Amino acid sequence: MLSYLARRLAMTIPTLLLVAVAVFALVRLIPGDPVQVMLGDAADPAQAAQLRAQLGLDQPIPVQFVHWIAKLAAGDFGHSITNDLAVLPLILDRFQVSAVIVLVAVGLAACIAVPAGLLAAWKQNSLLDLSVVGGATLLLSIPSFWLGLLLLLLFGLKLKWLPVIGYVPFAENFWQAATFIVLPIATLTMVEIGVLTRMARAASIEVLRLEYVTHARAKGVPEWRVLARHVLPNAFAPTWTLIGLVLGHLLGGIAVIETVFTLPGLGRLLVDSIFARDYPVVQGCLLFTAVIYVVVNLVVDLCYPLFDPRVTVA
Amino acid sequence: MRRRRPLPVWAVGLAALALLAMVGKAGAETLLRARLNADIRSTDPGTNRDANTDGVMAHVVEGLVAFRDDTSIGPMLAESWAVSNDRKTYTFRLRQGVKFHNGASMTADDVVWSLKRWLDPATQWRCLSEFSATGIARIEKIEAPDPLTVAITLDQPTALFLPTLARPDCGQTAIIHHDSVGPDGKWIAPVGTGPFRLGEWKRGQYVDVVKFDGYVSRSEPRTGYTGAKDVKVDRVRFNVIPDSSAAKAGLLSGSLDVIMSLSIPDLEELKTRSDVQLSITPALGLTGILFQTRDPLLKDVRIRRAIALSIDTAQIVEAIMLGTARPNNSALPLGSPFYSEAQSHGYTQNIAEAKKLLAEAGYRGQPIKMITNKRYSFVFDASVLVQAMAQTVGINIELEVMDWAAQLDRYNRGDYQSMAFVYSARLDPSLSFEMLTGPKAAQPRKVWDNPEGQEMLRQSMMIDDVAKRQALFDEMHRRFIADVPMIVLFNGAELTALRKSIKGYAGWLYPEPRFWGVTVE
Repeated sequence: MLSYLARRLAMTIPTLLLVAVAVFALVRLIPGDPVQVMLGDAADPAQAAQLRAQLGLDQPIPVQFVHWIAKLAAGDFGHSITNDLAVLPLILDRFQVSAVIVLVAVGLAACIAVPAGLLAAWKQNSLLDLSVVGGATLLLSIPSFWLGLLLLLLFGLKLKWLPVIGYVPFAENFWQAATFIVLPIATLTMVEIGVLTRMARAASIEVLRLEYVTHARAKGVPEWRVLARHVLPNAFAPTWTLIGLVLGHLLGGIAVIETVFTLPGLGRLLVDSIFARDYPVVQGCLLFTAVIYVVVNLVVDLCYPLFDPRVTVA
Repeated sequence: MRRRRPLPVWAVGLAALALLAMVGKAGAETLLRARLNADIRSTDPGTNRDANTDGVMAHVVEGLVAFRDDTSIGPMLAESWAVSNDRKTYTFRLRQGVKFHNGASMTADDVVWSLKRWLDPATQWRCLSEFSATGIARIEKIEAPDPLTVAITLDQPTALFLPTLARPDCGQTAIIHHDSVGPDGKWIAPVGTGPFRLGEWKRGQYVDVVKFDGYVSRSEPRTGYTGAKDVKVDRVRFNVIPDSSAAKAGLLSGSLDVIMSLSIPDLEELKTRSDVQLSITPALGLTGILFQTRDPLLKDVRIRRAIALSIDTAQIVEAIMLGTARPNNSALPLGSPFYSEAQSHGYTQNIAEAKKLLAEAGYRGQPIKMITNKRYSFVFDASVLVQAMAQTVGINIELEVMDWAAQLDRYNRGDYQSMAFVYSARLDPSLSFEMLTGPKAAQPRKVWDNPEGQEMLRQSMMIDDVAKRQALFDEMHRRFIADVPMIVLFNGAELTALRKSIKGYAGWLYPEPRFWGVTVE
């Protein structure tokens, strides 16, 4: 187990380095730079050159890359160009907001999707199955920003149950904080239920066809026990992998939800920084997301034996 | 006889609570909640800035002079000024009794210290280049002969000295207390003289400005960034809300009072709401189609002119702005005091003439690439309509949509055939022409490369005789229209939605809000 962990961790280093190179190169390949965005339509060439020199953007790109990597090795993600804040604290601060929403939403989605998928598979081709599949497809097809806006209009504007704009950290006021993140979580949960239900259903159908299920039934094991003891654990394993993927995806893709609900999260930070060409922040956000992705996948793999004893980690 | 029973404890408690609530209500602060579409960049005015930063900081700091509603220059922290005979020395008489947010009185020393700080390259003041060798004039001396007098000497006369000092993007050349920076010269927070002082700034969420009780207002009526600044709310919170739908929902639900810079579709939607009022003001920005006059195809003025004659500016503006803006083919904005009869002569649609010009130029349907963006929806809409109208005379325009930073890159390098573009507000007519006029070899972003135009522009920056300047601007306009380096379409409008409970708000030519003189009922 420990040697597996060590090997996996060692393998992440080249992965992250590759990500770093790709991120750096991609960011510099996009036309436009922070100086142009800052100076807008009145970019005096001398002033622009001075600003560029000050930000170190006049250096050759390989030199800039080496500077960045050297600083990274010392744990320094650099400073934001647009507001002169240290990048890492900025990312960690914004990450808290995104992480709460994503974790809760994915957890909720899994709790609903896995039993729903299992039931649909059990009653395959019945009305129940049809409605579960139909519902999941519908949720999959709705763009998340549109769903978010609909919820916002209904619960914020029409019913006035929840606040429409703003954000309060949990540490400041738990209940108020909760009211601000109910809708984003609901939106994200609904979107994810779609994906996870279909996965859970497909996995369950496969398991239901296996001989040990027939065997258990033939032995006279009650149906609920067949489902709970034999089908669910085996069908959950592939779904679990997907949950890992979804978690990683969402950290990148939560920007839309954060924009609709005005949450100061990591996704919005990334998008704003891309438009402002704030290189250090964009690089930091992408690298950080890559690290999270790697860690989540590692945790998923390490947890796999818990759900499927046939798998051993060694 | 029945004995009166004492009130139960719960009743006494309730009454006390009610009383407290009433007292609380009477003492509750008045809060005005406005929307910002993006966070401010810093609190250091005129340095690390953008339009949102300028708009918020204009509540906190003030300069010696400021723009009035009609873009003329009025006194702000200066009581008055005198210009020497050689027009190189400006002597400002300061207002007495002006207080900084830390309670200190403003003196000439503070003005000298502030100006010297702006002129120090380490400060990175946006407008430093204006006072360099290539700018409008160099500042040779700043002196304080007595505590209420400041004299500034330039190396050459210029009509743009005061307008530059007043420029909002220069942070109005704010006069600040030296406590604004630390002993190492590093910026801490603005200790200004504005009607509001800076409150809490939660990055990505909101920035507060709080009423400054020690503010000494000017007496003349509110005009532009000068005049009376009578603050009637305790606090203004600028909420950072990037999504316009979320902002609208905030306004309609009552959790937001003001949305500035509305888009036209949002305006149309809010028009019908009984709890919302609208403020529509002409603005100074400039939307138009730029041509690369060094392009092998577009260097032929006949083709550029044919495009200009193929379009109906009025129809485009009506379709895009729905009556909130008027067509304008001049580089000078409508609303400028220098916008005269001459400026009203632009391009009139003439299909036959356009076709004739194209035939003469030998144009045979070669594609013309036009860069556009969706960050400003009206820019995109304008490019689509120009494309469609040009099509009717056989001009083949292909649109290329880019993100704003990528388009700016192409703009600055002059690397385009044509592009639909929007310029931010320029408050002086010389500056309106300056943003378009110049040698392309040295400044690729300039669109109008005409040596005579450049000479007239230079003169307009030196002379401050109004009639002479007017004559120069009229002549420049005529040549600009003849050369067709770009087609100016319109200046746009500043659209603001407010809840009905907000009184006293007024937009002005400069597209930034002013929350002094505004009440929440």
